[in-house]
Amino acid sequence: MDKLIETKELYTNFYTYEGTVRALNGVSLSMKPGETYGLVGESGCGKSVSVRSMMRIVQSPGKIESGQINLFMSDKDHQKGIDILKRSETYMQSVRGNSISMIFQEASSSLNPVLKIGDQVGESFVFHRHEEMVKEAIDRLLEKSEKSSNGLANFFRNISVKLLQSELNSIEKYDLKVAEIDKELLEIEDNEDEASIARKHSLNFWRDRCQEYNFLIKIQRKIPILNAYQRGIGKAIRRNVLQLLTELGIPNPSNIIDRYPHELSGGMQQRIVIAIALACHPELLIADEPTSNLDVTIQAQILDMIKDLKKTKISSVLFITHDLGVIAEVCDRVSVMYAGDVCETATVKDLFKNPQHPYTKGLLNSVPKVEQGEKLATIPGVVPNLVTPPSGCRFHPRCPYAMEICKNEKPEIFELNDEHSTSCHLYSQKEDK
Amino acid sequence: MGLLNYLIRRLLLMVVILFGVTIVVFSIMMMLPPGQRVAIYLQDERVNAEQFEALIEKYGLNDPAPVQYARWVKSVFKGDFGFSVTAQAPVVDGFKQYFPVTLELVLLSGPLIILVGILLGSAAAVNKDKPIDHFARIFSIVGYSLPTFWLGLILLMIFYGYFGLFEPGILSNEYRDVFFSEGFKSFTGLLVIDGILNNRWDVAADAFWHLVLPTINLVILSSALIMRLMRSSMLESLGQDYIRTALAKGASKKVIIAKHARRNALIPVVTISGLMMAGLMAGMVITETIFSRPGIGRWMAQASLRLDIPAIMFNVLFLSGVYVLINLVVDIIYAYIDPRIRLA
Repeated sequence: MDKLIETKELYTNFYTYEGTVRALNGVSLSMKPGETYGLVGESGCGKSVSVRSMMRIVQSPGKIESGQINLFMSDKDHQKGIDILKRSETYMQSVRGNSISMIFQEASSSLNPVLKIGDQVGESFVFHRHEEMVKEAIDRLLEKSEKSSNGLANFFRNISVKLLQSELNSIEKYDLKVAEIDKELLEIEDNEDEASIARKHSLNFWRDRCQEYNFLIKIQRKIPILNAYQRGIGKAIRRNVLQLLTELGIPNPSNIIDRYPHELSGGMQQRIVIAIALACHPELLIADEPTSNLDVTIQAQILDMIKDLKKTKISSVLFITHDLGVIAEVCDRVSVMYAGDVCETATVKDLFKNPQHPYTKGLLNSVPKVEQGEKLATIPGVVPNLVTPPSGCRFHPRCPYAMEICKNEKPEIFELNDEHSTSCHLYSQKEDK
Repeated sequence: MGLLNYLIRRLLLMVVILFGVTIVVFSIMMMLPPGQRVAIYLQDERVNAEQFEALIEKYGLNDPAPVQYARWVKSVFKGDFGFSVTAQAPVVDGFKQYFPVTLELVLLSGPLIILVGILLGSAAAVNKDKPIDHFARIFSIVGYSLPTFWLGLILLMIFYGYFGLFEPGILSNEYRDVFFSEGFKSFTGLLVIDGILNNRWDVAADAFWHLVLPTINLVILSSALIMRLMRSSMLESLGQDYIRTALAKGASKKVIIAKHARRNALIPVVTISGLMMAGLMAGMVITETIFSRPGIGRWMAQASLRLDIPAIMFNVLFLSGVYVLINLVVDIIYAYIDPRIRLA
């Protein structure tokens, strides 16, 4: 099957003073390239933790305990899938913001209040397109010195070009070293014998400690006047940021770029957050409730923007929301989560027409309808405390169809058909008969 | 132009504050009976009871308070702060003699205190619950709860008492003669810098040698608070959403700490650091007394004991001026670090 990213039996815990919060209870999701995938559930059900685990940015006191996250990207190294939980931190840094990126809820707190918008957007280019930026700066300088006949200015330009080239060399050296390590890692990826595991360990260790810049470059960047050549890189980044903001249809980008986050409106801040995520043309965009805390008109604009981007720039979107309306509007396939479990996965149409899991049914029933006369249906009970989650199926205390087995055993995923699966004992029992 | 406008306004406000300080200082002095206040005008002469009354009459110490206040302010504007008995010189001359000694210590220990506090604090926050964090926390508890005089005495006992290193004072005897000799020009009053400017590196080294213990004392005691504040502020900043955004962008740990977390964490630390620098000047009383450095702290301690009112009044006025100025500097740094704060 064609896949983009999949998680297998993912367990993530948070170690708090109250106890261990078992936030993810064996989450298995699978996303195909090119689709818009929805993840829906009430607050605290583990939607955000799932996607943060996928990017390995679960912050302390959280920790991914076990499971697999396989990443399949279009470049040749990733085609057979790489378990990113086994890779080094620097590998993850090269993936984050580059092939997978993320936009967050509450744009106002997601932007650093003391840095200019241009710097914050530009950082993506610094991390992932440094080589291109340096090349662009060199090209610009060469172009300029060809045009001008000012000897002194050209002399300084020549020095700058030399320095930029030394930086470029060091980046290339670093890339080569890393590529070598990655190649070897890929070769022994599936080997599980002791020697390979030790080798993998040491390779990952050395990958983290590869120095991108040699000592000389470090010094040349620090010396005042001499480091003026860095301005060329800064300008190249600025041009790219401007271009990106213009492409995204953000009005007056040259003004916005020098502003601070607090000077922008909420909708504009969310657009900037999207711009940061899209800077390096990721293959997968994860949108973590991008429209909560925005008013309805801005919500619609942001949703339209993401839908447009889906058509033009990014192939796959993983959309997290608690709003079923948004899911119906933008997604192709949906997974419903409850208390760290994936209850049901189906195409949007199937899910709304033919919900199988009792929780999904309850969820869909509790959506208010216009023609509705009687009282709004709700799911009885409250969301469990995940420090002491219910045994077996975590939904059983609130489930109207709960059986004896539900209290004791966690249900397996049961495939109703190719596109529809649910994890509920109601269906696995039917199969038995 | 915003900054210039702001500066002018703040400086005008400073004049008003200092005016208020003069009133407070003067009121405190006026609580003393005229007979004691006469001492201000005595330059350590012996006087009998009759002359005493005559002096009180002569200097108008029985006049209504506002009249006396006006007279005092007038003399202050002339630059005449009276005669300091403890310094055995006019107050202004005494200040010129004592201030560089204090300034030298403040200039050395101040930046060190801030640097140690900030670096240790952020290292502790980044490595939370690891050995360096435990060390920093113990260091801060110890530093914050030790009395200044006790630590000072212990340091002197260990280093000077047992090992004969770092003797108290500001210069060794042999170099004191050099310092006061004809050929030695005093440019700044700061011994280390004067030594270098006179091309007497041995003098500079000796003066620096005498600075070591008081500096260690001050750094241990004062950086504790900054470290503690920096740690908690850094922890808060590391837990913010924008750190997650930076992570998701692919930032390395180094970039996150240096570029995203630390600058935000510095905002509350700057305030405390500013107040601490001003407090350092005022808090020299004990440090300078213990290490027998003739600075304004020790001067003030002696002046208080001997009721040297002109010296006390001048120093209180001076220190409040320092406080106000440092606060102004802090506000400007504040606005530089945090763009959300406008200087208005």
